[in-house]
Amino acid sequence: MKAALQKFKNLRFVKLIGFNRVVLILIIFLMYGFFTILTPILRNGSSFVNYNRVMSALNYAYFIGFLGLGVTFVIATGGIDFSIGPVMFCSALISGYCLTKFNLPLWFCIFISIAVGALFGSIGGYFVAFRHLPSFITSMALMQVAKGVGSIFTKTQSVTWPAAEATSSWYRYLVKWNNLPTGFVILCLVAAICAVVLYKTRAGRYMLCLGSNKEAVRLSGVDTRRWEMLAYILSGTLAGVAAIFYVGAYTTVQPGLGDTFNNEAIAACVMGGTSMAGGSASILGTVIGAIIVALMQEGILAMGFTISYQYVLTGLIVLGAVTADIMSRKRRN
Amino acid sequence: MNEVILTMEGIDKSFPGVHALDHVSLEVAKGEVHALMGENGAGKSTLMKVLTGIYSRDAGSIVYDGRKVCFSSPREAQAAGIVIVHQELNMMGHLTVAQNIFIGREHTRGFLIDDAQMNDAARQLFRQLNIDIDPKEKMGRLTVGKQQMCEIAKAISHEAKVIIFDEPSAALTDTEIEQLFRIIRVLRNKQYGIVYISHRMDEIKQITDRVTVMRDGKTVGTLITAQSSKDDIVRMMVGRVIFEKPKTVSHVPADAPVVLKVANLNAGRMVRDVSFELRKGEILGFSGLMGAGRTETARAVFGADIKESGEVFINGKKVQIHSPQDAVREGIGYLSEDRKRYGVVLKKNIVENSTLACLRRYVKRGDLIDSTAERKDTTAYVAALKTKTPGIEQLVMNLSGGNQQKVVVAKWLISNSNILIFDEPTRGIDVGAKQEIYELMNLLVKEGKSIIMISSEMPEILRMSDRIIVMCEGRITAEFDVAEATQEKIMNAATRDIAV
Ligand SMILES: Nc1ncnc2c1ncn2[C@@H]1O[C@H](COP(=O)(O)OP(=O)(O)OP(=O)(O)O)[C@@H](O)[C@H]1O
Ligand SMILES: [Mg+2]
Repeated sequence: MKAALQKFKNLRFVKLIGFNRVVLILIIFLMYGFFTILTPILRNGSSFVNYNRVMSALNYAYFIGFLGLGVTFVIATGGIDFSIGPVMFCSALISGYCLTKFNLPLWFCIFISIAVGALFGSIGGYFVAFRHLPSFITSMALMQVAKGVGSIFTKTQSVTWPAAEATSSWYRYLVKWNNLPTGFVILCLVAAICAVVLYKTRAGRYMLCLGSNKEAVRLSGVDTRRWEMLAYILSGTLAGVAAIFYVGAYTTVQPGLGDTFNNEAIAACVMGGTSMAGGSASILGTVIGAIIVALMQEGILAMGFTISYQYVLTGLIVLGAVTADIMSRKRRN
Repeated sequence: MNEVILTMEGIDKSFPGVHALDHVSLEVAKGEVHALMGENGAGKSTLMKVLTGIYSRDAGSIVYDGRKVCFSSPREAQAAGIVIVHQELNMMGHLTVAQNIFIGREHTRGFLIDDAQMNDAARQLFRQLNIDIDPKEKMGRLTVGKQQMCEIAKAISHEAKVIIFDEPSAALTDTEIEQLFRIIRVLRNKQYGIVYISHRMDEIKQITDRVTVMRDGKTVGTLITAQSSKDDIVRMMVGRVIFEKPKTVSHVPADAPVVLKVANLNAGRMVRDVSFELRKGEILGFSGLMGAGRTETARAVFGADIKESGEVFINGKKVQIHSPQDAVREGIGYLSEDRKRYGVVLKKNIVENSTLACLRRYVKRGDLIDSTAERKDTTAYVAALKTKTPGIEQLVMNLSGGNQQKVVVAKWLISNSNILIFDEPTRGIDVGAKQEIYELMNLLVKEGKSIIMISSEMPEILRMSDRIIVMCEGRITAEFDVAEATQEKIMNAATRDIAV
């Protein structure tokens, strides 16, 4: 048994994507099977297996995925970002307001959304990297600011982006086009770019190294502040991107919300094998983690439970994943 | 010989890609100091970690105090009386000495911690060891040597029978080492079994009764210290005799230009009015006692700490160095003495660590790293320094202490800096590898680089330096050409209070 496991771990393919990721993919199939069996039993007769369910789960996976990709960079540097959910909503509110009330062109509003995210990321990054504030506190504070700014800008009104048939609705094609999941393609593309940045560029190398030992990196003549700040900027920017995919799927955004998505995005990261202690991160893991989070929420709703169960499960997943991470690190020492 | 207290036999331990221990045996008697020697990565620390339950063993048996044992955690080993004094001390600086010694088993009165009782108990321990430390002092205010003595006191307070020292002397001053030895002798008389790991040959000769030599995870053999010479031990360790001889004359031409000039540098309490010059192709040794301000001087020059005043000139031109980044841009490299804290990035592999200081050089278009090139250079330095590892992708945290040091050395060698500041470059490095590093340093200066070498090992200073600067309490107290320098002169200058 032990030997067989070791042999499996040594397979080329398993080594390439990591054992943890293989397990997660298996979990996706298990969850899918589980929901397929239980849904008809609990909701007499209704079925889990249909195309709409898949698309609906993917809709959720996109924006959680983008948020997760962003926060992966921050966690890689040894920090944390609790502001991404509200920042995403703030971006969607401001850009949506510009689109619907000021009739600005759609492409420009998308740009605004991303810029708002980047701005929040830069502010957070500045305080963490240059002013040495704990990232926990900084992002908590920015979370409040983002919630407030979104509300103020829209005068506490919710914002509804144009529906499918309206003019200026091509942003919805980013999510779904002729019933094809374009969003998934874009998520994979962005994830690929993130992977290149994290593993193949100097920026990514520095971020990972400073997550492991910041002083050693600084004493190697590297301006650690700049690279640390960059991680937060990426996180914010990707929250701005996530906003477009959120409205692309759900059209309406309400002010003052968004914090539950932080936890789900962070859950996706830690599940995927990104260590909360910094220094090691997995982009592929984050994407798979986001899919698991989304599938879970779809399954819970399909089985007829309320969304509150999702919160409980997300919380438990974070506890479980971080415990597993800490235990594996202990074992290695 | 005395009664045997500990027998390890046929111990086997593998890590992925490394057969760290291959049928290793070790026997320790009561009232003996048993040295464990071997090259970096030979398996010494691993053997001790297996003994104390930090690692589980794959095979083999351990008989301790007449019983077969198998500890599954250091706590169990400690309870049974086997304690390890690590090189990296695990002390809480903000607690008092007594609180540290009794941490986890505080004396209490009701719900309250009874500090007075703990202080008394600690004082009693110190009296046993014949050392003078105030139990009420904050741990963080003690010198490394004193902290280590507290660690020893803590060990014997656990009613230990076997005490393991893993490279205890690496961070100690000579007087502190003297004191450590005195305590070890006390312990020996009290019939403790002591395992002593060190790379310093003269210590082994001084303090130990027997030596067990390990090589590549195997036991080579055990010698009785008094009956064997240094050369015998070294030959057993590395398979050849190493010839050491001090430099007698400076190799720097008289007209070599000054590449680095530091004038009236002040930084904190430990750097007072320091001025010196470094010339092209020179190895400038910085000698002095631990805490003399040499590291602080280096850090200030390098921009790691803030300078209060003073000027730095490179090739005659005044430069502003406010951060390590500025320093590296000016062609200065600084290898820190504290490799765990300031040197290695433990969770990254050898390649990533080796190119950290000069990653810019390996960047192609669009910030992408040319991994073929960096792997090639890393491989070259792993070979040159004989770093023991299953591959260059090995995480640095899985390397032995000495091999981690080689990775940090490689980082600065690869960086191609013109001025290198090496702070205790051979700390924890075995005799054979030391030789390689010395040769590389000589090669570097021949190529026209310049090196400042801070070292607390007198033989190293005398062997490598062209010129020697001695510091004491933050000031430069003497400067010698290697031709006129002697151990005695240096010691005098190092202990003199203020420059004449
Ligand atoms: N956790 C680990 N994972 C993988 N390899 C390890 C681990 N710990 C030790 N090793 C390997 O086992 C070998 C023995 O290491 P060990 O630390 O015992 O050496 P050492 O004799 O103490 O050397 P040094 O003098 O440098 O401290 C080395 O090759 C090291 O790389
Ligand atoms: Mg060791």
